[in-house]
Amino acid sequence: MPGTNVRRTPADLPAPEVPDLHRYRLRRTEGEVTSYVGMIIFLGSWAMMFAALFFAYAVVRLRAPMWPPPDQPALPILVPGLNTAVIAASSLAVVLASRAHALGRHRRASIGLGVAAGLGALFLGLQILVWVGVWRAGLLPSGGPYPSAFYALTAFHALHVLVGLAALGVLAIRARPPRGTTRSAVRLWGMFWHFVGAVWVALYVAVYLV
Amino acid sequence: MTAAPLPEHGYGLPHDVSVDGFRVDELIHFTLAAITVIFVVVAASLIWSFVKHRSGPALYSHGTRGSIGLVVGAVALVLVGVDGNLFIHTLGDMHQYFWNFKSAEAAQGAVLIEVNAHQWSWDARYPGADGRFGTPDDVITTDDIRIPVGVPVVVQLASTDVIHSLYLPNLRVKQDAVPGTITRITFQAKIPGEYEIACAQHCGPNHYKMRAVLTVLAPDAFRNWLADAGEDARRAYDPEDKEAHWGWEWRRFEP
Amino acid sequence: MSTAAQALAEAAQPIHPPPTSFWRQYVFSIDHKVIAKQFLWAGLLFLLVGGTLAMLIRWQWAYPYRPVPVIGQLFLRENGGVIGPATYQQIFTTHGLIMIFFAVTPVLIGCFGNFLIPLMIGARDMAFPKLNMYSFWTFLLSQLLVLASFFTDLGSAGAGWTTYPPLSTNVGTPGPGQTLVVAAIFVTGVSSTMGAINYVTTVIRMRAPGMGYMRLPLTMWGLWLTAILNALFVPVLGSAALLLLLDRNFGTQFFVAGASAVRGGGDPILFQHLFWIFGHPEVYILILPAWGILGDVIPFFARKPHHWYKGTVWAMVIVTVLSAMVYGHHMFMTGMSPLLGEGFMLFTLLISAPSMVVVLNWALTLWRASIRFDTPMLFALATVFVFGVGGLTGLFLADISMDLYLHDTMFVVGHFHFTMAAASFIGAMTGVYFWFPKIFGRKLDERLGKAHFWFTFVGITLVFAGQLLAGYAGQQRRLFDPFQYTFIQGLRGLNRWTSFFAFALFAGQFIFVWNFFKTLFGKAVPAGENPWQVTTLEWTATGSPPPFHNFDRIPEVVRGPHEFSNPEVRRLTGRDFAGQSEVLPGSAGPALAAARG
Repeated sequence: MPGTNVRRTPADLPAPEVPDLHRYRLRRTEGEVTSYVGMIIFLGSWAMMFAALFFAYAVVRLRAPMWPPPDQPALPILVPGLNTAVIAASSLAVVLASRAHALGRHRRASIGLGVAAGLGALFLGLQILVWVGVWRAGLLPSGGPYPSAFYALTAFHALHVLVGLAALGVLAIRARPPRGTTRSAVRLWGMFWHFVGAVWVALYVAVYLV
Repeated sequence: MTAAPLPEHGYGLPHDVSVDGFRVDELIHFTLAAITVIFVVVAASLIWSFVKHRSGPALYSHGTRGSIGLVVGAVALVLVGVDGNLFIHTLGDMHQYFWNFKSAEAAQGAVLIEVNAHQWSWDARYPGADGRFGTPDDVITTDDIRIPVGVPVVVQLASTDVIHSLYLPNLRVKQDAVPGTITRITFQAKIPGEYEIACAQHCGPNHYKMRAVLTVLAPDAFRNWLADAGEDARRAYDPEDKEAHWGWEWRRFEP
Repeated sequence: MSTAAQALAEAAQPIHPPPTSFWRQYVFSIDHKVIAKQFLWAGLLFLLVGGTLAMLIRWQWAYPYRPVPVIGQLFLRENGGVIGPATYQQIFTTHGLIMIFFAVTPVLIGCFGNFLIPLMIGARDMAFPKLNMYSFWTFLLSQLLVLASFFTDLGSAGAGWTTYPPLSTNVGTPGPGQTLVVAAIFVTGVSSTMGAINYVTTVIRMRAPGMGYMRLPLTMWGLWLTAILNALFVPVLGSAALLLLLDRNFGTQFFVAGASAVRGGGDPILFQHLFWIFGHPEVYILILPAWGILGDVIPFFARKPHHWYKGTVWAMVIVTVLSAMVYGHHMFMTGMSPLLGEGFMLFTLLISAPSMVVVLNWALTLWRASIRFDTPMLFALATVFVFGVGGLTGLFLADISMDLYLHDTMFVVGHFHFTMAAASFIGAMTGVYFWFPKIFGRKLDERLGKAHFWFTFVGITLVFAGQLLAGYAGQQRRLFDPFQYTFIQGLRGLNRWTSFFAFALFAGQFIFVWNFFKTLFGKAVPAGENPWQVTTLEWTATGSPPPFHNFDRIPEVVRGPHEFSNPEVRRLTGRDFAGQSEVLPGSAGPALAAARG
C-alpha cells in the first residue's frame, strides 16, 4: 500500500533537537503510519473472514455424530506439523529481512525475503503432498462435511500463502541493491505473511490435531 | 369433505380459531396502541415545530440538562413500559404455551403428527392404532391435515429438499421445516372448520402453490376418520414403496 | 497565517498536480471526487434497474397472469409478455440484491463516503487513493456479473436475496445464473471491504488539525461507523458466499443436508447464521449514513445546533455495537434454542433505545428552531417520518410471540422497506439534493425538487403502508400469485391499489431524472461556495466544485459542526452561522473555539 513518504519534519520547519539522529531516522513517517493503520484494519477484517470459516467448521463438526466419519481416512499429523515449522521459519526470515532492510543492508534483506518465499513454496509443496495423499486414500470433497471442511479451509489458506509468497518473491528481487524497495512494503507484506502463518497455526490445531 | 376454507372479511387479522392465538393478538394490539401513541406524540411535536417555528430567531442551545433529561426519560419510559412489557409477556407465552412441547405431548389425548415438507406439498403421517410412527398402519395424507378440536396437537416437521415453513394464519403459529433436522410446533384449535395451511418460506417457483387444508373436526369425527383411514392404510400398505416410508421414530422432547 | 499543526498536515499531504490525460482524469481516476461520481452514476443506474424489477413485482400482484406492457414485450417475449413463476422468483431475488448491494450501497456509501470523507474532515484525498480506484472497478465488475446472470440458461438467481440454501444450491436453483450472482456478492464484498479499510483509516489518520472526534460532522460519524461495520462483517458474508460457491461447483457439503430426518451432512441453518451475522449489521450499514446525513442537514436547515450531539454520537456507536448481537431475530422460526432466541429478543428490544435517542434528538433540534423548508430539508424530515414508521413496526418483529404470526409475511417486507428502502432512499436523496451543488457546482431546481419530493414521500408511504396492511392480514411474502390462498382473496383490492401507488412513485422519479440532467447540462448558474449557508469544511473552506487537491490550505478546525444562531457570532459577523475553521474577527475567537460542540 503506497503512502506518501514524507518525513515527520518538513523542510520549512526547524529540525527538532534529537539526541540520536539514527534512531530518529528509523521513526515512521506519517505516510507509513497511515499504511500501517490501514494494514491492521485490513488484517482485522480478513481475520473475520477466517473466523467465519472456522465457525462454519465448528458447526458442521459438532453436528456430525463421528469425526472423522468411520468410513473416511484420518488426516496426517506429521507432514502438516512439519509445515508449521516451515511457516514459522519463514516468518522468522521475514523478521530478519525487515530488520536488515531498516538498517540499510539491502543485500541481506533481499536474501531474507528470498528465503521466506522459498520456505513458502516448500510449504505449498508439502501441502500438495498432503492433498495428494488423502485424495488417494479416498477423501473427496463431495464425501460430506468432513472432507468439505478440510479441503475448503486448507485450499483457501493455501491461496493466501500463494499470494504472500508471490509478493515476497517480487520484493526479494526489488530489494536488491542498489535500487532497494520501500521499508513499508517490506513491513506490510511481512505483516501479511505473519497473519497467514498465524492462521495456519490455528488451522493446524483445529483441523489436524483436535 | 365439505366447503373449502372461507375467505376472511376485511383487512384485519384473520379470525382466530386457536386456544392460544389471543396471546399473540393481545400483544399485537398492545404494541399497535403503544406505537400509535409514540408516533402521534413525536409527529405532533414535529408538526408544532414546523408551524410555530417557521421563521423568527432560533434558540441557541446544544441541549440543556432539562432537554437531555427529557430524551433519557422518554426513552426509559418506553423501554420499561413497552419493551419490558413485551419481553416479560413473551417469555411467559413461549415457555407456557407456544414452545411448551413437554406438557403438550404429555396432555391427555394429545395428537402427534409427523409432517414431511417437500417441493411443493405437505405430507402428514399419523401413528395409527399402534401409536407408533413408521409402521404399516400409519395414516398418510397429502396437503390435508386433520386434527380434533380441544386437544393439543404436536407436529414434528422435516423437509426432504429445501427449507419450508408451516404457517397456520388462523392459529397464529409458524415453524420452519429444515432439511437435516426435526423441528416442532404445537397448537390447539377451539373452533371446528376448515382453515388454510400455507408455506411461508420461499421454496422455489411453485412456492405460491404450497397450500394445504387444515380440517378441525369434533373429537368423535376425528376418531372415526382416523380409524377408517387406518383400515385403508393397512390395506394399501406396500412394503416395496420406499418413497412412502419417510416416517421416523417420534422424538420425545428433551429440553 | 498558518499554524504549526497546519504546516505539518500540509507537509504530510502535499499538493499533487492534477492529471491531464482523459483516462486518468475521468476513467481510471484516483481522485476521490471523481470516484464518488462514478459510484453515483453506477448506483443511480442500478436504482433504475432495481426499481423496474419492483414494478414488475407490483404488476404481478395487481394483474396476475396478464402481459406486462412495454417491458413484457422487450424481455418476456417468449412467454407472451406474461411473468411466469420461475421468472417471478428471479425478479424479486434480483430486485432485493440489486437495491441493497448495487444501488443503495454505492450511492450512500460509495458516493457520499468517497466524496464527503476527505472534504468534511479536511483532507486532500483518501488515505489510499489507488485502493479507492480498485474498489470502484471491483464494484463495477460485480455489477456486470449480476447483469450477465440474466442472460444465462435458466436465468438469474431465484433463491431470494437471502440466498438460503439448500434452495440456493444445485438442489433448488441449478444453472450458472445463481452462481454468477453469488460470485457477484463475493466480489462486491471485496469492493466494500476495500472501501471500508480506506474510510476507516482516512478518518483515523487524516483529520485536519483541530478536528477531534467530537467535532466531526454527524455524517462523518455515520459513514465511519458504517465503514467499521463493513470492515468487520462483509468478510463474514464473503465466507458464506465462498462456501456456497464451493457447494454449488465443487460438490462440498456445507449447507446441503442429508435426506429427511437423517443427521449428518451439512447444515442449512449454518448459512443463515453466517448470512445474518452480516445481514443485520447490513441494515445499519444502510441506515447509519442516512442518520448521519440527517444529523447534519436537520440542524443546518433548522439554523440551530444539533440537540445533544454527544448523545446522538454515542447512540450511533451503541447501535453499531448491538447490531451484530441481534441478528438471531431473523431466525426465530428455524427451531433455535429458546434461550438463544430470548437473548436475541432482548438485544433486539434494547436496540430501540439508542434509535429513539437519535430520533428524539432530531425532534428537539427542530424545537424552537428557525426552519427553512428547502428541498433537502423536506427530504430529511420525510426520512424522520418513514424511519419512525419503520423503526416502530420493528417492535412487532423483535418479539418472538408476534413473530410467530408475522414472520415471513408482507409485514416484514413493509417494515424493512420503511427502514432500508424508504429511509435509506429518501436519506440518500436528502444527500443528493444537499451536496449536488458541491459535487457539480450547480443547484438542482427547487420547484422540480419539491414535486419530486411529494411524489416520493406520499408514494413511498402509501406503497409500504399497503405492504404492512397486507402482512397484518397474514399475506406471506414472495408469492407469485397470493390469491391462490382463500384467506388472501379479500386483499386483491389492497394489493392492486398498492401497485397503483407504486407505479405513481416510480413515475415520479423521472422528475428527478429530468431535474438531474437539466441542471447538469442546461444553463449554468454557479451555485457559489456556500449556497445553503452552513458550517462544515466542504462548504466553508473550499469552492464548488472543489479543486483537485480539495483545499488550498488545510483548514484548522476551531469549533463543532453545528454552530448556528450563536448571538456572539451574529454580533461579530452579522451571520447566523460560523464555519468550522472560520476565525472570527475580533479577539473573541479563542473563547468561542473553546465553546462546546
